[in-house]
Amino acid sequence: MAVTTVPKLIRDFWPSFHGKALFIIFMSQIIIAGALVAALVLSATFALDSLVLWGIIGGVFVVGSVASMTLLNYASRPSKDLLAAIIHVAGEPTTTTPPSPNDKRYANNGFKQALQTIYELAGKEVATPLQTDTTPDTKASAIQSALDVTSCGFVVLGHNRNILYANKTAPVHITPDNTQALSLVFNGNDTLEAWLDECEQHSVHAEHTWTRVADRLPEDEGRRLFDVIASYEKGAANETVLTLIDRTATYSVSEDELDFIAFAAHELRGPITVIRGYLEVLEDELSGVLQADQHELFRRLTVSANRLSGYINNILNTSRYDRRHLKVHLSEDSLSGIYETIRDDMDLRATAQNRLLSVNIPAELPTIAADRASISEVLGNLIDNAIKYSNEGGAINVTAEAKGDFVEVSIEDHGIGMPGNVVSNLFQKFYRSHRSRETVAGTGIGLYISKAIIESHGGTISVRSEEGRGSTFTAALPIYATVADKLNSGDNTNEGLIEHGNGWIKNHSMYRG
Amino acid sequence: MAIHTILCIEDDRFIGEMYVRSLKKAGYEVDWVVDGNDGLITARNKPYDVILLDVMLPERRGTEILDALRGGSEDLIPDTKVIILTNFEQDDASRSAMQKHADAYLIKAEITPRKLIEVIEQLGAA
Repeated sequence: MAVTTVPKLIRDFWPSFHGKALFIIFMSQIIIAGALVAALVLSATFALDSLVLWGIIGGVFVVGSVASMTLLNYASRPSKDLLAAIIHVAGEPTTTTPPSPNDKRYANNGFKQALQTIYELAGKEVATPLQTDTTPDTKASAIQSALDVTSCGFVVLGHNRNILYANKTAPVHITPDNTQALSLVFNGNDTLEAWLDECEQHSVHAEHTWTRVADRLPEDEGRRLFDVIASYEKGAANETVLTLIDRTATYSVSEDELDFIAFAAHELRGPITVIRGYLEVLEDELSGVLQADQHELFRRLTVSANRLSGYINNILNTSRYDRRHLKVHLSEDSLSGIYETIRDDMDLRATAQNRLLSVNIPAELPTIAADRASISEVLGNLIDNAIKYSNEGGAINVTAEAKGDFVEVSIEDHGIGMPGNVVSNLFQKFYRSHRSRETVAGTGIGLYISKAIIESHGGTISVRSEEGRGSTFTAALPIYATVADKLNSGDNTNEGLIEHGNGWIKNHSMYRG
Repeated sequence: MAIHTILCIEDDRFIGEMYVRSLKKAGYEVDWVVDGNDGLITARNKPYDVILLDVMLPERRGTEILDALRGGSEDLIPDTKVIILTNFEQDDASRSAMQKHADAYLIKAEITPRKLIEVIEQLGAA
């Protein structure tokens, strides 16, 4: 006889239990109705074919079923919540949200303690009673003074993300309304807040590490760099505990590498300037004698030199971004104006590789808050990719439209496309799909830095792709009018407001509402 | 203001010659010096419509030259447009400081002589 080997999951219990309970209710109602019919007919109150009889029976059946199901739901609710909590504690994959002990309903009916106990029990290692002869009070103060002399920062956050405790080394500051707040500058969208949002939705315990998180902007005196480890425990009094390891000494060494990269870029850019310049001069001066195919050779040289110059910018910006030095200088600009600055280069790249590049960016789109050089770098990267990953003669369409508070620009190709597992890794540094490693040259930092730049503008970048059909990359940038007030008020010099002085934006998210 | 005379302060011979050749072909009168000291002296002695200023220069950096010409209480070259031309990735503070006193700031590797002439024409038209 065959034995079923399907593993039993806790989450499978409820649907089957609930189904059985409903079946029992249904059956018992049928039995009650049957008994009632028998009683009423045998006592000759009604004839078997009386409509009134069947009306009463139907009514009793419906009312009885509804009442039983309501009772079942009410009575089984605590068991259901306990089960949901156990499923989450056990770590089974589930789409349900774990019940929060801080829910008002549970606090009112006293069920809160039960939930909390489950979460606490799950969080505990095997408890071994400590044999100590110190009283709890002296122990606590000993721990506190110990925490204050370590070089690690410890911060405890409560359920509302308020700071319950921070030791002396922890990077916290006092806000104008006199509460403590964390001074941490996270990179891009990978912030503590975002992670906690995620935890509240889906986790009971979770842990996450960020590296190289600074407590202030690069120019500020006494800047420290931390590795931050966060532990989350749903419903615990100390819901989130942050451990911050001061790594300034290690990471500041690599700050010097930035100087090295800046010098290296200078050295590389010198020859590129000469190559690009002389190619143009030569092609101009030889234009009378060059054959058509020789012009084509010049075009290829120019395209390659231009590409090289683009890669150097990618490398420089990636190095800056990784060291939290990437800054974008936002000012009012039009997408069509920005594209104009790279139009010739893009046209040349497309024609040199036999691609049909069609660009339709309406001049009347709302203006955006943009850093011209950075956005042209992103557009260059995306169009370059579209060229690389499409076929000879393939069409590449660049379009733009206003959507809500954003202007969206899309770069669509009809090339080789990507399967879903490639798409999800696409924006990671040095990521190159197995196939593209073999067939297409590239560094794997173009999309990484493009995403960083777009996010530093307060925008988003996304991709849709179908294998064999092509890909569409879409970057959304905030319309200038929606962020103008915030940009302007962030500047304390009157001179040119955004154009000069403190118009540099570090993490653009703070400029959006 | 129409632009006729240009001073190019550039220590790289290949790059200097390239700009001078193209600018002369485009009809400008061009003087070219290769170190920072000469650059500052020439800029103070003769009025130019445009100065092309490199940053990493021997003897005296472009930043110092610009500071000497425009950083004091008096602008010594009020009728001259200054275009910073560099391949060096300056830190943000020094870059903004230079931009404040200059009319344009260009990365050499990202422009060609034709683009440079376009920028000069734009400055002349402004």
